[in-house]
Amino acid sequence: MKKLFALVLALAMVLTLVPAMAEGNVLRYGAETEPAGFDPHTISSHASIRVMNQVYNQLVDVNENLEVVPELATSWEISDDNLTYTFHLADNVYFHSGRKMTAEDVKYSYERILNPDLGALGNSASYAGGVDTIEVVDEATVKMTLKAVNVAFLSSQSSSYCSIVDKDVVEANEGSLLRADAGTGPYTLGEWVADNHVTVNAYDKYFNEAGKASFDAIEFYVMTDASSRLNALRTGAVDLIVADTAMLDLVGENDPIQVISYQTRDYVGLFMNCGREPFSNPLVRQAVNYALNREEINDFAYNGTAAISGFIPASMGHWAVDVNEKDYYTQNIEKAKALMAEAGYPNGFETVITVGLEDGIRDMGMVAQQQLAEIGIKAEVKNEENAQYIDDWKAHNFDIMICHNGAGSDPNRGVAFFFSSTGSANIQDYSNARVDELCVLGASTTDDAQREAYYKEAINIILDECATAIVSCPMAYFLASPALQGYAPSASNTSDFSGVTLNK
Amino acid sequence: MRDYIIRRLLGLIPILIGISVAIFVIMQLIPGDVVSGILGIEQTPELREMWERKLGLDKPLVEQYFNWIGKAVTGDFGESFRTGAPVFPEIISRFKISAELAILGCIIAWIIALPLGIISALKRNSVIDRIVRVVALMGVSIPNFASATLIILFLAKGFNYHTPVKYVGLLENFGTNMEIMLLPAFILGSVMAGSVMRMTRSSMLEVLRQDYIKAVRAKGAPEKVTIFRHAFKNSSIPIVTLIGMQIGSLMGGTVVIEQIFSIPGLGQLTLTGITQRDFPVVQGCVLFIAFVYVIVNLLVDILYTYIDPRITYT
Repeated sequence: MKKLFALVLALAMVLTLVPAMAEGNVLRYGAETEPAGFDPHTISSHASIRVMNQVYNQLVDVNENLEVVPELATSWEISDDNLTYTFHLADNVYFHSGRKMTAEDVKYSYERILNPDLGALGNSASYAGGVDTIEVVDEATVKMTLKAVNVAFLSSQSSSYCSIVDKDVVEANEGSLLRADAGTGPYTLGEWVADNHVTVNAYDKYFNEAGKASFDAIEFYVMTDASSRLNALRTGAVDLIVADTAMLDLVGENDPIQVISYQTRDYVGLFMNCGREPFSNPLVRQAVNYALNREEINDFAYNGTAAISGFIPASMGHWAVDVNEKDYYTQNIEKAKALMAEAGYPNGFETVITVGLEDGIRDMGMVAQQQLAEIGIKAEVKNEENAQYIDDWKAHNFDIMICHNGAGSDPNRGVAFFFSSTGSANIQDYSNARVDELCVLGASTTDDAQREAYYKEAINIILDECATAIVSCPMAYFLASPALQGYAPSASNTSDFSGVTLNK
Repeated sequence: MRDYIIRRLLGLIPILIGISVAIFVIMQLIPGDVVSGILGIEQTPELREMWERKLGLDKPLVEQYFNWIGKAVTGDFGESFRTGAPVFPEIISRFKISAELAILGCIIAWIIALPLGIISALKRNSVIDRIVRVVALMGVSIPNFASATLIILFLAKGFNYHTPVKYVGLLENFGTNMEIMLLPAFILGSVMAGSVMRMTRSSMLEVLRQDYIKAVRAKGAPEKVTIFRHAFKNSSIPIVTLIGMQIGSLMGGTVVIEQIFSIPGLGQLTLTGITQRDFPVVQGCVLFIAFVYVIVNLLVDILYTYIDPRITYT
């Protein structure tokens, strides 16, 4: 009674105030986590990258079909030895400071990435780490020479880790861009109230007509609580929110809310530690693969929306290998038991499945635990908080770990980074000399058909040796107000708002 | 009195040192570190080494601690490992928001609890008393995250209403700020109200039983004077103690409400700091919260001397 009375009182107070609605043409975005600053070279947080994608540009971009397309560089030439890349820059690019971007800025940006004292994320083999020299040819031309041939180099330069930054702004901020705007993007970095919102404002001197800002501003709100996010969308307080499969149940059949989804290039599955007994035995790993019922896991963890997949998902186009042809992708308990007996574990063994905070991963752990019990593997599911999970990931400290990885935009990332013996994300200590050889060949061959053959051979070896038991390639979801039009996220770009409109 | 205050403030020093050591040790003991958080999947041994050097994490632990404390005594709480922002100004800006929320919550709690507690004591065992007691029990026992979520849902479904999502400071726009803060403050206040109400009731009952109240009544004092000047004032010491403790714990303890309502308060800052293993932020926040807690309780102790002049500190 008291609560109701007080609630009515509070309501009356609240409703008498004029609701402060957003003015102008503003897109309000409900994000799930707080950004960690906005230095494109040192920040890997998704929430930050989403904002930085509005503020920064790179030399090139990768489209939905994984083709490299121009961005700040309008064209480029690659030398016959595949070591030298000459980029021709667009001549109408202006930094948010108003200064014109030149080849000097490109040189400076790459030197910043390669500076060992910055600890830039792009300073690794997957991105710009292989750059040997950078040379300014003229104001609009820059030449980069690699230490070794790397066919994936060009596409990897589309990463936000390889953004072009304004030298003057970096220097004015004593080298830190965490809170500064040194970009050329369609929006400028505006107000940042940590744990509440960050605003980006339209930049009228953006160089590319097609990518111009379609809003006066975009406001990214931090709404960690999923139900608050949905309620904010329902009441029109925000226009677009990040969602997960669990939230879809709350959107009814005739609900005006739009569900927007795309197939990711991510994959989720069981990583078995090949450096540890008993998973060092390929027979055990095969048994695990045969023991899993991937459809059942998928139904439980992703409401059946994810696609059954290998570690190079079908969304990677012609690079993917069809896993449905693989015998071990169909559950076969008898076969699994036979393999266990052959490996010397007729009565199974005890093990631990390490899972992180993500809902899909946790659910997958629970179902896998039950399915593995059928072949005598008694698994304990260990739930870990994020920092601890990353720690164990880094230390290769697990029996089975369920991981959610991104396959990237080139198989060099998807194969070599995770499965070659020197790959820095090869957390399961998988090692196969032929795979290593194929990774080197794949990265240094320019002929596409030949590359495909190399990578497919490597992918098949890794799959058949059952280095992992990948389950599926999940969908990603957004929920939007009915007024939002033209938002078409893809695995290549989830934060492209050019051409998006709000019909209020 | 002045000596007492100085003594209490000096007593803060060992408390703060103790807390800072404890936080430092705990942050070292829990698995996970800030570099892993920054680099995530991209980490290589070389990148890791660079970041450890950059953040000073390559130094021996004792040296790390003394470097930090050495700066802290000069008022420099360092910079956030994650965002590079100086910690102290960030804490102050968050504190203002948390303090506003806590104070509003308290005012709402008092408005609800004090009159009802007094009425409940005066009409002991009546129907009103019983209703008040049940409602108070409900207030204490319904977790605030549940009531907050339900109220948001109710407002969204019933009135298509949501509190403004963009935080605006009190001085920037009073109306919008109140619109953002009143609902969460009400939810916090309703939880506090339950315990304040119960405390008011039992404390009042105790005082009303005293002989001097009989004497006041026998003297022919009007009932209002008896209740407010004589009974309530004397029964307010435990209530003030309780409120002091509640304000203190609200500083960092409103994190769930802050998350649900996207309010950038001190609790959120601390929690983000902990999940990201951002040592300077966690250390700064916890010390600041401890400091506020001690100061609020000191103020409460000083307040006692005004409520009951017999209390003196030497």
